[in-house]
Amino acid sequence: MTLNPLNIILFGVVLLLAVGFYGLLITRNLIKIVLVLQILVKAVVLALVLAGKASGNLGLGQSIAATVIVADTIVAVVALALAVQVRRRAGTLDIARISTLQG
Amino acid sequence: MAAILIGLVIGLPWLGAIVLWRTRDETPRLQHTLAVAFSIAAGVASLALIPFASAETVISFPMGRFFGSLTFTADGLAVTLTAIACVIGSLAVVFSVDYMRGEEQLSRYYAFVLLFIGAMTGLLLSGNLLFMFFFWEITALCSYALISFYNDDPKAVAGGIKALIITQVGGVGLLAGALTTYATLGSYQISDLLADAGKMPAGILALVAFGVLAAAAAKSAQFPFHTWLPDAMEAPTPISALIHAATMVNAGVYLLARFYPAFEHVPGWKLSVTVVGLVSALITAFMALTATDLKRALAYSTVSQLGYMVYAIGVGGVFASQFHLLSHAVFKALLFLSAGAVIHSAGTRDMLRMGALGKQMPFARNVFILGALALAGLPILNGFWSKELVLEAGLDRGPLWAYIGMLLGAGMTAFYTLRMTWLVFFGEVRESLHVHDAGKAMKVSLGLLAVGTLTTWLLAGPFGEMLHETLPFHSIHRLNLSELAHEIFTAPATYVALLVVAFGLVIFWMVRNQPTVKNEAWMDFLSRESFGFDWLNRQVAARTVQFASVLQKTQTGVLSWNVAGILGALLAVLIFLVWSVR
Repeated sequence: MTLNPLNIILFGVVLLLAVGFYGLLITRNLIKIVLVLQILVKAVVLALVLAGKASGNLGLGQSIAATVIVADTIVAVVALALAVQVRRRAGTLDIARISTLQG
Repeated sequence: MAAILIGLVIGLPWLGAIVLWRTRDETPRLQHTLAVAFSIAAGVASLALIPFASAETVISFPMGRFFGSLTFTADGLAVTLTAIACVIGSLAVVFSVDYMRGEEQLSRYYAFVLLFIGAMTGLLLSGNLLFMFFFWEITALCSYALISFYNDDPKAVAGGIKALIITQVGGVGLLAGALTTYATLGSYQISDLLADAGKMPAGILALVAFGVLAAAAAKSAQFPFHTWLPDAMEAPTPISALIHAATMVNAGVYLLARFYPAFEHVPGWKLSVTVVGLVSALITAFMALTATDLKRALAYSTVSQLGYMVYAIGVGGVFASQFHLLSHAVFKALLFLSAGAVIHSAGTRDMLRMGALGKQMPFARNVFILGALALAGLPILNGFWSKELVLEAGLDRGPLWAYIGMLLGAGMTAFYTLRMTWLVFFGEVRESLHVHDAGKAMKVSLGLLAVGTLTTWLLAGPFGEMLHETLPFHSIHRLNLSELAHEIFTAPATYVALLVVAFGLVIFWMVRNQPTVKNEAWMDFLSRESFGFDWLNRQVAARTVQFASVLQKTQTGVLSWNVAGILGALLAVLIFLVWSVR
C-alpha cells in the first residue's frame, strides 16, 4: 500500500470507525453513546468525501456529506435533549439500568 | 379498447374497495348498493373483454431496471378466468345483500371482497411474473381477512392464519421461480419464459417448475397443502363460494396451465402434477364421505375437483382442465350459495341436525340438486362434459393406474354428493328447524348460476377455439360442440365413468336410511386428521414456536452485544469479499 493521500484518508476512516465501535461496545453512559455515534458519523462523512474523490464525483460526495452533517447535527441535538430528560426522570444515565426489556 | 377494459376490470373493483372502505356502517343500504354497482360494472367489463382476447401485450408500463415492465395480456385463458372471477364475484356480492343483512362492519366486508376481485383479475391478466406474484399475495391477504371476518370467533381467526401461512409457503415457490427466471433469462415476462424455457439450464428450469408446482398446490389446496381449505369454511358463505370455490383456489390450476408449455419437458414434472392431482382427489373425496359439516363437505369436494383439474394438466389436457375449471366454478358457486341459503335460515352447518328441509325451501332444494347432479357428473349438465373430457384425456395420455384412481374418485363423488343432498333436503326430520326459503337477492344469483350450470357446456366450442387462437405456446386440442359430443358419446371411457358414478349412487341409495350410521372409527379418525397432515401442520407450527423461543434469548436489549453482533457480521462480509475477490 503506497502512501498516497487517498490511502491516508482511508486509514483515517478506519481509525474513526474503530474508535467509534470500540466506544459503542464498552460504554453504558447515554451521553458517551451520543458522543461515539458522532465519531462514527464523522467517519462516514470522511468516507463520503473520499469516495467522491476516488470515483471522480467530488461534488456529489461533498454535497451528500454536507447533507449528512446537517441531518446528523439534528440527531445529536435531539439525542442529547432526550438524554437530559432521561437523567431527570430516571435519575441515571446508565442504559443497563434504564432498560426494561426482558430477554 | 382492450386496454381500457383491462383498466376497468382491475380498477373498478379497487375503486369500489376504496369507496366502500370510506362508507359509514350506519348506512347499510348505501353500502349494499355501492358494492353491487361496482361489482356488476366489473362483471360487465369482464364480459366485454372476452371478444378482445389476443396473444398481444395490451398494456405496458416500464417500471425501471429491476421490475421489468408491468404488462397486461388478455389472452383466452386470462379473459375466461377474469370473466369467471368478475361475474361470480358480482353474483356473490348480490347474494351477500341477503346473507349479510344486519351484520356489523359491512364496509370492511365489501371492501375486501372488491379488493379481492381486482387483485384476482390483476393476477390473471398480468404478463409479468413479479407483478403476478404481487397480485397473488394480495389475493392471499384478502382471503385471510375474509376468512377471519368474524374476528371475535377464535376458530375463524385460526382458520384465517392457517390459510395465510400455508399459501405463503407456496408463494415463496412462485417468488423463487420469478427471481430465478429473471436471473437466468433477464426478463420477468411470462411470454419470454414460455418462449425461452429451452434455453435455461435443465437444473434451473426444474427449480422454477417445481417452485411453481408448490405455489399452485398451496393455492389450490392440493396435497400436501390441502389442510387449509376446510378450516377456511369459517368465512361467511358468499366468501366460501367466491374465493374458496370459484376463483382464488383456481389460481393454482391457472398457474399450471399457463406455464405448462415451459415445463412439460422437465423430467418428472408431469408425473408429479398427475400424482398431486390424483392423491388430492382421492383423499379429500374420502374425507367428504364422512363429513357432517355441510360447508366442510363442500370444501372437501372442492379440493377433490381441483385435483381433477391438476390431474388433467399432468396428463397434458390443458383444455380439459380449463373447461372443468369453468364448469366447476359455476356449479360449485351454485352449491355453496344454496348451502349458504340453507345455513342462513337454519342457523347451523351440521347436516345431522338438518333433514327434510326440502319441503320448506323448495327453491334452494331444486338448485342444490342441480348443482349436485353436475358435481356427480350426470349428463347433460356442465360437470358431466368437463369431467368426461378430463377422464378421457387421462385415459388417452396418462398412466392407467392414475386413470383407475380418478374413476374411483368419480364414484366416491357421486356417493358423497347424494349423501349431502339426502341429509339436508330429504329423509326424516331430525330436528324441527324453522327455515324459510331463499330471499329475493339470493334467488337472483342462485337462478343465474343454475342457468349457467345447465348451459356453460355449450361454450366448449368457442372456448376451445379462443384458447387455440390466443395461446401461441400451448397446443390446444380444440373441438367444436358436435365433435365434442361425438367424441364423448362414442368413447367407451364415458360409459365406464357413468357406470362408476351410477354404482356410487346405487350404493348410497341402499344405505340411505342409515346415512348417519356410525362411520367406522378408522374412517372418522383419518378424516378428522386429514390423513395425518393436520398433525404435521401442528408439529411444524409447534417446532417453529419452540425455535423462536430459543432465539428469543438472544434478544437481550444490551447495546454492547448488539454492536458486537453487527461488527461480527461486518467482519464476516469483509472476509467473504476479500476471499471471493482472490
